[in-house]
Amino acid sequence: MQCVRCLRDTAEVVAKAPDKSNAWEIYCCSVCNYSWRNNEVDEITKIDQREEWRQLDKTDLSSLREVIYRARQPKPENL
Amino acid sequence: MSYKDLRSFLQKLDEEGQLIKYDKPIKISPDFPDVSRSLPRLGQFAPALITDQLEGYTGQRIVVGVHNSPANCALMLGLPKDTSLNKLIAHVSGLWEKIGDASEAKLKWIENPPCQEVIVEGDDLNLWELIPLHRIYPADGGFYLPKACIVTKSPYAPDDINSENVGTYRCQIQGPRAIGIHISPVHDGGEHLGQAAVLGKPLPVAICLGCDPLLELFSSTALKANESEFKFAAAMGDMEYELAKTTLYDLDVPANAEFVIEGEIYPNEKFVEGPFGEFTGSYSGVNQAARMVVKRVTHRVNPIYDSMCLGGISEKESENILALNTCSALYRQLKNDMPEIKAVNATYQHGMTTIISAKMRCPGYAKTIAMRLASTPHGTDYCRNIIIVDEEVDPFNLNEVMWAMSTRVRGSEDIIVIPGVPGLPLLPADTKVLIGRKLIIDATTPIAPDEFRPTRLIRPYKVSKDWRDDLRKLQREMQK
Repeated sequence: MQCVRCLRDTAEVVAKAPDKSNAWEIYCCSVCNYSWRNNEVDEITKIDQREEWRQLDKTDLSSLREVIYRARQPKPENL
Repeated sequence: MSYKDLRSFLQKLDEEGQLIKYDKPIKISPDFPDVSRSLPRLGQFAPALITDQLEGYTGQRIVVGVHNSPANCALMLGLPKDTSLNKLIAHVSGLWEKIGDASEAKLKWIENPPCQEVIVEGDDLNLWELIPLHRIYPADGGFYLPKACIVTKSPYAPDDINSENVGTYRCQIQGPRAIGIHISPVHDGGEHLGQAAVLGKPLPVAICLGCDPLLELFSSTALKANESEFKFAAAMGDMEYELAKTTLYDLDVPANAEFVIEGEIYPNEKFVEGPFGEFTGSYSGVNQAARMVVKRVTHRVNPIYDSMCLGGISEKESENILALNTCSALYRQLKNDMPEIKAVNATYQHGMTTIISAKMRCPGYAKTIAMRLASTPHGTDYCRNIIIVDEEVDPFNLNEVMWAMSTRVRGSEDIIVIPGVPGLPLLPADTKVLIGRKLIIDATTPIAPDEFRPTRLIRPYKVSKDWRDDLRKLQREMQK
């Protein structure tokens, strides 16, 4: 199914209400990792009602800032 | 008074009328976030709220607002719930003096701990279904764990408990068994990931939810890399802190935590994460951050998920959690070199605005105090707006602070801006990432030869007695 944020066809149902009430389902996109419930407000669930700045369909995801980890301490010699 | 787990503290909150037990069905969106947003606006005595009626999670317990108010924080420290914020922070400062480096703290490892009463793994494990998750802020990139205590250990010193770190970093659920974790590289957890990258190995991680209230405090406190958050929680609570080894790794976790999520992070593998609403009142960006592959979750029977109270722009549970130790740490650091310091109020956005009261040793001393604050480890990038007031002004009483600013500040002499100082990526006021500015406001009375125009000032005068308690008592009696 279509991700409401990056608009790729890479979202799927990942969870359902555990109390078996069918109150909601959760969807998650395997590319941009956005997740949402089907019973959240329209500004979250409906593509045409989501604010432009929240969307990632025009963003090159590989260009997003990467959090890089570098050790400051020197590696012990016995390792 | 100490609480070895969340449950015993909730019992205390209940006894003191600080816990609402909500027993009606509540919609997960938008009602539950709105409820938790309203709670801290109840002021000094804002309660926590627990429910097992969250839509879709009926029977699963969730609590918000455990650290919601000065009243709850006072109870956490064994003080009366009407303890003022000023006295609360003075009490915490006194505790810091007493515990020193916490080297005498007592830790005890137990077998078959409550946090491992139930084990969930494999296809039975779905984080979205196991934990009552809700969206914290409307534009968050998903469902986050806002009060996670995350345990990592230095791969260079795996046998040293002092190398173990407990930190609070944001965690985005990205799969039934996957969590995106954004750890800043400058934090201890970031250093551990850097070391794991050097060794070419994954880093074991344990995410603990629903911990005792003191560990939550220290998880957000900037201790030194070789200081143990467990030891500080033990020392401040004057208790023997119960720990357990995780089931899969050589990591230590609170034996009485409600949930422990065990897994690994491959430090060079990155995934899209964010955004998330931060305490600065703006959303952080979308980044490529690390991901934890979850192998197993252990939890107590009938666990309680401790989530965060949202609040308004400023009324957030996170502000209380950060405030106590921030004020105390800054007070101690300044007082070491400047015995004239009376009190430090760094409760606003983790000290971004800090108000300090002090006796002025000499003309211009207020500016010296401000510059000393700006050069402390925390003050370097956090303390942006620094207001100095005289010792008789209570920095926790904003009416008094505003009086000082209204009557003592000379715009041309007493307001100083220092550009080009270290900045914070989270702060929208830093127009360039990592470059900020400091603002110093000297709201003290000038000392000769510095002067106002010749007037006779009303100096603080001695009172024979503080009549406030007597007057309150009289008023209460009249109202009966």
